[in-house]
Amino acid sequence: MTAATTQRAGMPDRLRSVVRNPVVIASIIAIALVVIGQIVSPGFGSYNQVISMLRISSFLGIIAIGQTIVILSGGDGIDLSVGKVATLGAIVGARVMDGTDANLAGGILIPLLVGAAIGLVNGLGIVYLRIPPFVMTLGMLGVVQGIILAYTGGAAAGRAAPFLTELVNTRWLLGAPGVLFVWIILIVLVTLVLRRTRPGWNLYAVGSNRTAARLSGIRVNSTVIGAYVASGVCAVLGGLLLLGYTESVFLNLADGYTLPSIAAVVIGGTLIAGGVGGYLGSAVGAIVLSVLQSLLTTLNMPASHRTIVNGVILLVLLALYGRQRKLRS
Amino acid sequence: MPLLSMTGVHKRYGGVRALDGASLSLEAGEVHGLLGPNGSGKSTLNKVLAGTVSPDAATIELDGQPITIGKPRDAAARGIAAVYQQLSLVDSLTVGRNLTLGVEPTRAGFVDNRASAAEIDEVLERLRPGLGPGVTATTEVSSLTPGQQQLVEIAKAVLRRPRILILDEATASLHRDQVQLLFEIIRELTAAGTCVVFVSHRLEEVMTICDRATILRTGRTVATLTIAETSESELVRTMVGDVAQAERRAELARTDDMVLRVRGLTAPGVSDVDLDVHRGEILGLGGLQGQGQSELLLALFGATPIRAGEIELNGRRVANTSVVKATGNGFALVPGDRGSQGLFMQRAIQENLSIVSLRRRLLAALGISMRRERGVAADAVQRLSIKIGGLDDPVTSLSGGNAQKVVIAKWLLNEPAVVLLDDPTKGVDISAKAEIYAIVRELADSGVAVILNSSDDVELAELCDRVIVLYEGRIRTQLVGDEITSDRLVAAALLIGEGDQGTVDETVAAAPDGSDR
Repeated sequence: MTAATTQRAGMPDRLRSVVRNPVVIASIIAIALVVIGQIVSPGFGSYNQVISMLRISSFLGIIAIGQTIVILSGGDGIDLSVGKVATLGAIVGARVMDGTDANLAGGILIPLLVGAAIGLVNGLGIVYLRIPPFVMTLGMLGVVQGIILAYTGGAAAGRAAPFLTELVNTRWLLGAPGVLFVWIILIVLVTLVLRRTRPGWNLYAVGSNRTAARLSGIRVNSTVIGAYVASGVCAVLGGLLLLGYTESVFLNLADGYTLPSIAAVVIGGTLIAGGVGGYLGSAVGAIVLSVLQSLLTTLNMPASHRTIVNGVILLVLLALYGRQRKLRS
Repeated sequence: MPLLSMTGVHKRYGGVRALDGASLSLEAGEVHGLLGPNGSGKSTLNKVLAGTVSPDAATIELDGQPITIGKPRDAAARGIAAVYQQLSLVDSLTVGRNLTLGVEPTRAGFVDNRASAAEIDEVLERLRPGLGPGVTATTEVSSLTPGQQQLVEIAKAVLRRPRILILDEATASLHRDQVQLLFEIIRELTAAGTCVVFVSHRLEEVMTICDRATILRTGRTVATLTIAETSESELVRTMVGDVAQAERRAELARTDDMVLRVRGLTAPGVSDVDLDVHRGEILGLGGLQGQGQSELLLALFGATPIRAGEIELNGRRVANTSVVKATGNGFALVPGDRGSQGLFMQRAIQENLSIVSLRRRLLAALGISMRRERGVAADAVQRLSIKIGGLDDPVTSLSGGNAQKVVIAKWLLNEPAVVLLDDPTKGVDISAKAEIYAIVRELADSGVAVILNSSDDVELAELCDRVIVLYEGRIRTQLVGDEITSDRLVAAALLIGEGDQGTVDETVAAAPDGSDR
């Protein structure tokens, strides 16, 4: 019996599982895209260019943290409000910071609280009013849009604190800006929380089978609400870093990040039905999407064509992933 | 020549033989009862006839002509209609639309409501005494009581003018006068030549309405009897057969130490249940399936709201208002459906084992030490001899028995005081079954209070010190020690016995504070 339990899978098996690992697949795709870019347009794959693409990826990647957690929580979990919430976070942050480092702490903390509050409302509505996540967060998107208009009166004011701008835009170590290191720390931290803490394991359990989770003494409702709060907080964090990148804010700053954040999660191998996946995959997914975007821009493709190609490639990727899941089960 | 005959019907579900050469012969114009204890295959045989289950092998002849029934449409085309306790109505549609669903009369491709209206009104009028005055073709089904819905379901089948009508526990949710109405309708149908196959857990109904009855046991047809020439007790004897008496668990030095005491527990599907479990005792829940056994366990576990009653654990009142609280109070439940209620299918065996008791082993109340988790999980795997490839394998890689052991193990790691087992050996092969029995006995011997619901009477006889038999959510009777035999369990489940039907024998059902021993 013990012999059976300690028995290790043979090397071919392990190799196969590595090759089939979605994180590995996504990484290969990202590298392939860079190589293609380098061939088509020499210089695309240079160190500085790659660092620049990673920097762009970090905003999407950090917004996708929350999206990953929400999708992992299952029950058709999805957060369609992340883009708008990120925008609101940046707007509030810009106004509180007002271009000075003196207001930095408040300029980060207050928007994060706003994000947490929005996430809390999302979670409460989904859990207690039983509004489907798709509808709840879509409705929240509209509400946040209204809040933005009311708060700004149609014209955003304020500027990023210089520290924030420096964090995102100034090369710090190994020619990379601080934001990349923030992202790396977050990747490690989020992965640890998911894999090595009780809330993380509970999240996987809830996403995998809510009835079984409830009958195992897990607080399902708190777990789900917590996931949406985390999503609001992460969205704002992404929005604030994006504010550092643009320095000044505009009314639709991060609106376009919602769908890519979902795409990044799926490309990263997280099961859209919940319960299976992880954040490292989503981070690589964010990189794939950013590199793809840069490549299409480099090809001098008009914006309209770019959007179409982007969409088609996404669909192809998703179809491939779906097929692979079926083969495995 | 019989109207329909089925012979050599075989059906396996995985390792379980549901039907093993069963046969059935039906005459036109008769009401034919189908009887058998839990798991004897009557539902499966019905479903084969109705086309919802396709058999592994079967010879079916209708009017002497061999036919095949592969899907419900085939059965419908041959004039076979079925009504189950599980309704097939669409809640959000009206009674009228439900009645003609799938067979709507059409004109030029459009549904012709006028043509069907007359027919519907006629059927509803016939059911009027049972439906009550308010129900018309335009009433939405969701606003009806379960009994009214059941009548609509029956009307739906009758409207299709079947030659063979299957009523599988169709009287379960009906009131007495609704049952009478149904019997009148059945008699009208049989007078017109229809054959009615009647399944009911109420033996008195079978005695009243049936002309003949076919009795199944472990997937085989053992007899077809003419009701007028038999008695209730003969039916039960035929159903149970000469089973070898189960090897009973050795009487252990039972203490008067009461672990669990429940009084007047009322919850969804459970009414006014009293029970006592002493330290080291295994209490069985018997009776026909679906008489409130699972519901009782769920209520004790805080998974459904308790409306009245109290639970005492080791002399202290506990409020199991939620699963989280019940778990904290030392309760554990191995649920009835391990796939949908017990396991996290996509997750690793390791996580499935750890999840319940994780709280006890955290670093700084948050962090998980993988070394500790692996150690604990490996111990549990060894202790329950669970056959696994590796702890990181998904739980889907396990056989039924081993998967069930994982569910049991995850609770044992939480060191419970009360273990509730809901049919733990359902769909489990024989060797794993024996191992699970050993685990349950060991649990009881170590001082854990065990409540075991089982659909298998032999299992109850083998494992339990006492069995309470439930009927429609209430305790019907209680069997102690050597009284627990298969035939007494079946008789008690079917409400036949020592003349105490209808009343709960207070002295045995609720042993007052253990003073009876």
